[in-house]
Amino acid sequence: MHVAQFVVTVAGFAAIGWVLWYFLVPAGRGAPRPPEGGV
Amino acid sequence: MSAVEPRAVDGAPDVDAAPGAVPAGPRGSAVVKVAFPVAGMTCAACVTRVQRSLTDLPGVLDANVNLATNRATVELERGAVGPGDLVAAIRDAGYDVGSESAQVAVEGLRFAGDVAPLEAAVAAVPGVLAASANRAADTLRITYVPGLVTMPRLERAVAEAGFVVAAPIAEADPVERERLARSREVRRLAARGAVAAFAAVLSMVASMPLMGVGGTGTADLLVRLVMPLHHALARALPWLYAVPPQQLKFALFALTLPVVFWAGAPFYVAAWRGFRHRSADMNTLIGVGTGAAMLYSTAATFAPGVFEAAGLPADVYYEAVSTIVALILVGRLLEARAKGRTSSAIGRLLGLRARTARVYRDGIEVEVPAAEVQVGDFVSVRPGEKVPVDGVVRSGKSAVDESMLTGEPTPVAKKEGDEVTGATLNTTGAFVLEATRVGRDTVLAQIVRLVEDAQGSRAPVQRLADRIAGVFVPVVISVAILAFIIWFDFGPEPAAVWATVSFVTVLIIACPCALGLATPTAIMVGTGRGAERGVLIKGGAALEAASRLDVILLDKTGTVTEGKPRVTDLLAPHGPSAALPATPEERAEILAVAAAVERLSEHPLAGAIVREAAELGLELPDAADFEAHEGRGATALLGAHRVAVGSAAFLIQLGVDIGPFIDAVDTLAARERTPVLIAVDGLPLGLLGLADPIKPSSVGAVRALRRMGLEVILVTGDVRKVAIAVAGETGIDQVESGMLPAGKVQVIKRLQAAGKRVAMVGDGINDAPALAAADVGIAIGTGTDIAVEAADITLPAGDLRAAVTAVELARATMRTIRQNLFWALAYNVVGIPIAAGLLYPFAGVLLSPVFASAAMAFSSVAVVTNSLRLRRFAPTFAT
Repeated sequence: MHVAQFVVTVAGFAAIGWVLWYFLVPAGRGAPRPPEGGV
Repeated sequence: MSAVEPRAVDGAPDVDAAPGAVPAGPRGSAVVKVAFPVAGMTCAACVTRVQRSLTDLPGVLDANVNLATNRATVELERGAVGPGDLVAAIRDAGYDVGSESAQVAVEGLRFAGDVAPLEAAVAAVPGVLAASANRAADTLRITYVPGLVTMPRLERAVAEAGFVVAAPIAEADPVERERLARSREVRRLAARGAVAAFAAVLSMVASMPLMGVGGTGTADLLVRLVMPLHHALARALPWLYAVPPQQLKFALFALTLPVVFWAGAPFYVAAWRGFRHRSADMNTLIGVGTGAAMLYSTAATFAPGVFEAAGLPADVYYEAVSTIVALILVGRLLEARAKGRTSSAIGRLLGLRARTARVYRDGIEVEVPAAEVQVGDFVSVRPGEKVPVDGVVRSGKSAVDESMLTGEPTPVAKKEGDEVTGATLNTTGAFVLEATRVGRDTVLAQIVRLVEDAQGSRAPVQRLADRIAGVFVPVVISVAILAFIIWFDFGPEPAAVWATVSFVTVLIIACPCALGLATPTAIMVGTGRGAERGVLIKGGAALEAASRLDVILLDKTGTVTEGKPRVTDLLAPHGPSAALPATPEERAEILAVAAAVERLSEHPLAGAIVREAAELGLELPDAADFEAHEGRGATALLGAHRVAVGSAAFLIQLGVDIGPFIDAVDTLAARERTPVLIAVDGLPLGLLGLADPIKPSSVGAVRALRRMGLEVILVTGDVRKVAIAVAGETGIDQVESGMLPAGKVQVIKRLQAAGKRVAMVGDGINDAPALAAADVGIAIGTGTDIAVEAADITLPAGDLRAAVTAVELARATMRTIRQNLFWALAYNVVGIPIAAGLLYPFAGVLLSPVFASAAMAFSSVAVVTNSLRLRRFAPTFAT
């Protein structure tokens, strides 16, 4: 179980870091264009 | 049939010809403003993102995106950026522009080869999204972005392609269009919500037998609540409890599929689209939250062995998924309906328009749609009818109810030469008017534009919410992951289940929607309510500034007073040494005589006397041998009688015994009235007192302003004596007299330097610099001349009491905004930690994801409902 806890903790914090980086660090322009049509 | 993609805009975009385009700066400047709908925004984060993507475009000076109206208003340099760029920027950000379709009948579509060039020509028009021609029906369907393209431009494109438009292209009425869009959205949400709710109820029932088997058990508040139901159901539906749990799980899975793949699909689609563009919003939270619950349950259903091997119960949360989706859809439904009501003021304003007009064409009266009336047309208006356009009365007379313009319910008398305003209501008489302003130029159209702009604007207070919303969703996702780690590492067994539940609950309870709706909904309702009450507010910033005023400066002439001299006193001799107010007969005689002489004079006071006589409808005898005596008076012959009108000194000089009036002349002078004496054949006939009278409403308005804690100062170009007299009568204790327009600006600057927030109320012409210099410029315009440019707030009624209403409304709106922001912040600050399980160590309670979704749906509905309370705003003065 300790291994599982270790893995979840490391993966979790990595995920937090990635989420904050992905959404908060301004992206460069030229991202792919979304398809036509609205919601 | 084929559709043609929009083309990138070439050198000369058409935005300056767009219907929503108005020069944002002085005439001839290169800055234009366009407004168009944006689709797919759900929360404050979306607004920030769309706004940023627009302002990032070179050539865009400012962009303002409003969540309540789903509209973007963009200020751009003419020629630097075109509609195609705007559309591309919105789509790049992961959203879409709202579009409209028009069906056009086209003549000359004979050959199959005609179709493609026509479609290409129309689709090439900037702002057109697609064009498809149907040769069988001779029609062309154009999908375009309203606000970015005009109908005449489309007609021109069809003509240039060599075809003839059979009938002018009718653009959808913006209000009708919004209503239709709104009802479409409501219908769609209702259908999806109904399916999700149906599945949710069935899932709840079907999952009862599975409850209490394991998982979070009695710690889950919801499980505790439904426990009695659980036992009742076991008695009522014993067969359900006899079904093997594994089969129940399969049934629940099947039941949840339509919820995930249809009812909740828009959330997942939008979340994915946002994700690809590195933007996270409300949909991300719902998508990740319910997605996690769905994946966990699916795994537990089809591979229970994996869970059991890890020592975990293979619990399923299908009922939570369905219920969350159902509740959020119901929340969105209520929100959509409430948002529709926030913009109802515009609909009511436009509803005031007359539909048809009776116009004289070649001497014959014909009924035409009001939109077809041209400037210069003669229009007949019968009793009880709406005035169709703005114009000048050319014959007939009547009284017109102008309450839509001024809020004042008493009808105003109109006669030849008077201006009338379109959409006001004719009461008793009939008249013919000559149209002076039609269509977009009418006062009503100006008011509607002003209110629309105001409703789409943002208040500075929104900046805080925007800053929070920008980081909100990623932070919430991080908190959810953190909660998962803590539960997994330190929680009771089965830790993985607890961790998943709190992860999902945190994502579901967090609600940036409420934060995004807090300000714009209140501003929409507040400005709309203002327009109904004769207070036209330019926008959120003006509203916010008006709510925090310290000092209000009142211009004297035209604001506190009526702005033109009138006969305020009329006395007749009573014995050799006394005078009394004239009886109606004496009044008529004195005025007729005085006006007959003064009619030939050019002195400003003479005008007041003639006007007074005209208002009483007096017949004026013809005067002969008129002689003006500069600055003193005038004499003339009326028949055989020599009449003198002038100052006391002038009449004494002519040898008139003014004995009866000596005291009265002094009294009038002391009250800042100008005394004018009338003598016939050397005998005194009467005494007139002339002054610029204080509006009856000013006294109460000043008292109310002071009661509201505002410092009231009278500013005037007039001499100190007159200013003090007026201040004394209205209860103002501070006076700044002898002020030229620049002097008024200096007074404002001085007060502002002392840290005070200053409003200036003036009539908008000579006060324009002061109105612009003040924190809040309030233009008070009697009649139809709305001085929109310099002022932040316009009061068409010309009644100072409307200024009181404006300040009250501003304060009420800002109070509502603060309540909304507080509620939205407090809700998240309290809700997220509870959802993460903060209460568990103390109270042993963990929130269910289902509870979280109900709370979330409620939070944004609560904000919109709180804003709607402003619709019942009742000012102190019912002007």
